[in-house]
Amino acid sequence: MADLIKLNGLQRYYEVGGETVKALDGVDLIINHNEYISIMGPSGSGKSTMMNMIGCLDSPTDGTYEFEGEKVHEMDDNQLASIRNRKIGFVFQTFNLLPKLTALRNVELPLIYANIPKDERLELAEIAMDKVSLTDRMHHKPNELSGGQRQRVAIARALVTNPSIILADEPTGNLDSKSGVEIMDVFDELHNEGNTIILVTHEAYIAKHAHRTIHILDGRIEKDAQNKTTKQRKQPSKKKATL
Amino acid sequence: MFAYVESLRMALSAIWDNKLRAALTTLGIIIGILAVTLMGTLISGLDRSFEKSMSFLGRDVLYISKHEWFGQEEWWEIRNRPDLKVDYIEKLKNQSKYVIAAAPVAMRSVNITRKDEMAMGINLAGTTPEFAQTAFMNIESGRFYTEGEDRSGARVIAIGYDVANALFENENPIGKKVKIGNYVFRVVGVTEKQGKFLGLFSMDNRAIIPLGTYQRLFARRGWMRLDVKVDDEHIDEAKDEIIAIMRRLRGLRPEEKNDFAVNQQDAFRQQYQTMKIAIGGTGLFITVLSLVVGGIGIMNIMFVSVKERTKEIGVRKAVGATQGSIMRQFLLEALFICLFGGAVGIVLALGGSFLIDKFVFPSTMPVSLALISLILSSVVGVVAGLAPSYKAARLDPIEALRYE
Ligand SMILES: Nc1ncnc2c1ncn2[C@@H]1O[C@H](COP(=O)(O)OP(=O)(O)OP(=O)(O)O)[C@@H](O)[C@H]1O
Ligand SMILES: [Mg+2]
Repeated sequence: MADLIKLNGLQRYYEVGGETVKALDGVDLIINHNEYISIMGPSGSGKSTMMNMIGCLDSPTDGTYEFEGEKVHEMDDNQLASIRNRKIGFVFQTFNLLPKLTALRNVELPLIYANIPKDERLELAEIAMDKVSLTDRMHHKPNELSGGQRQRVAIARALVTNPSIILADEPTGNLDSKSGVEIMDVFDELHNEGNTIILVTHEAYIAKHAHRTIHILDGRIEKDAQNKTTKQRKQPSKKKATL
Repeated sequence: MFAYVESLRMALSAIWDNKLRAALTTLGIIIGILAVTLMGTLISGLDRSFEKSMSFLGRDVLYISKHEWFGQEEWWEIRNRPDLKVDYIEKLKNQSKYVIAAAPVAMRSVNITRKDEMAMGINLAGTTPEFAQTAFMNIESGRFYTEGEDRSGARVIAIGYDVANALFENENPIGKKVKIGNYVFRVVGVTEKQGKFLGLFSMDNRAIIPLGTYQRLFARRGWMRLDVKVDDEHIDEAKDEIIAIMRRLRGLRPEEKNDFAVNQQDAFRQQYQTMKIAIGGTGLFITVLSLVVGGIGIMNIMFVSVKERTKEIGVRKAVGATQGSIMRQFLLEALFICLFGGAVGIVLALGGSFLIDKFVFPSTMPVSLALISLILSSVVGVVAGLAPSYKAARLDPIEALRYE
């Protein structure tokens, strides 16, 4: 099987007022199925830029990006949208839920763009809500939920299409530490179920949940290592193949 | 497929979230649609009353007179033309194979009195009994006068429906006496109620006496019209023939212009068409103007809507919305705002048409126009929505997500 993700000499430059900002400056990276990765680095080092790149929200200035063997850097807008829809679940620091929709409707959203019939959509959305233990909050609007609950809704939305990878950019950044721990429990559980997860964090104790930590500095990978301190977990089961 | 249904649902709920704003923006569309449909109603009503008026004239009756209806000639040129003569009638009838009936008509305005009652401003016509055939009128009670009465100059009179009502409130007028000035007439008939000609002159506000009597009592010479009813299958030939006969009677040389005019209903029709085009053009102008203004309003509000929902667009794109589906969602929103405006416009127009029908003249709102209106508002919606929707579709997902 092809590597899940393969970045080669990936660059992302911004032109700002005649100056070039090298947000990513030659990143080589391979990510396999069912990895659990944390990305760390100082502010402005390019973590979010890299996540957006992996999440197909942004296109590289130079370099190549292959996702399950497909050349993402050559894709047009519609193909990128399709990859985002089917293969990627994104979790944001600020949740990014639609305020007018209920939790369940928010979770349902990606399935609408996947052209799935309504009954099936609601069923899948409920299953996803169950995975984040929020079945009792399905019909609440985001502003009727706590921060931790909102982030769980966002996670449910990310995993409802059963994506190949879940990306989370500082998912606990807007949460108190107790809620943060709860969210990390959800990620641990998802990883145990066979999901591939990458998350960005500034907190070492959050990063420790992952099995591999990548340090970024000035748009380059400074350090990439397996977490020795990771307490031995039960070997994750093979990712279920539904959908 | 489901994506289409969802786009529709999302568009409708977006409109619902901003009901008042949507309602206000549709004002231009509403006015535009209202203008076009009411204009249609108006024209349908005008058509109807015009056709009714035209039935007073008759398609197969030619009106020979000194001047053209709606003609362009100078007044002095017409004044210098010789008067029409009664004896033309016999000559026309003898020389033309198309003439069915012909009547000379002289006319003036008089007051008719009876005891203390007076009917003022009555159109008194002096004519021959054949007028009954050329004039499309029916006698309601009594009779029209006879050839004999005509020739002998009998003082008999047929009065219009309104005249009868004014002078004989609860009586049968037949056989009673009325006076015009000092002359006494015996009422022999009352003509059926006919209504107004083009909404202007009442056809029931008139009286008819024998031409001989008229000439003896009121005027031997003066303005006269010849009404000629012709074979309705050969109207054009009849017209040409009558012009030729008239030229011969007048002794005109080939190079000389006609010093008379043969008029027919068509003159009114042409005039009416011109007026209709003017009304329709005005309506169209108002419609186009308000639709353009309305469209710009919709476009503006859609730009605002796109701006306000930048973050939402970012979220939708992040979870897999394509440019097409975002475009569709906003286009549908604009379309439905306009369709809503169109529907409101049509409902208002229905109300307006009802009032026109009830209080102005009989008319109906043409259904086809309602449909065209809806199509028109859809077009405005889509066109006005294009630029904002395109802008929404092209938003960069990351920038959109970062938007506060
Ligand atoms: N749209 C943009 N235009 C110009 N420069 C940008 C843009 N987006 C990011 N950058 C620059 O790219 C660099 C990397 O930004 P990025 O958001 O990836 O940092 P980060 O590691 O996520 O930081 P933080 O920990 O604060 O979230 C920064 O210097 C930033 O200023
Ligand atoms: Mg960041």
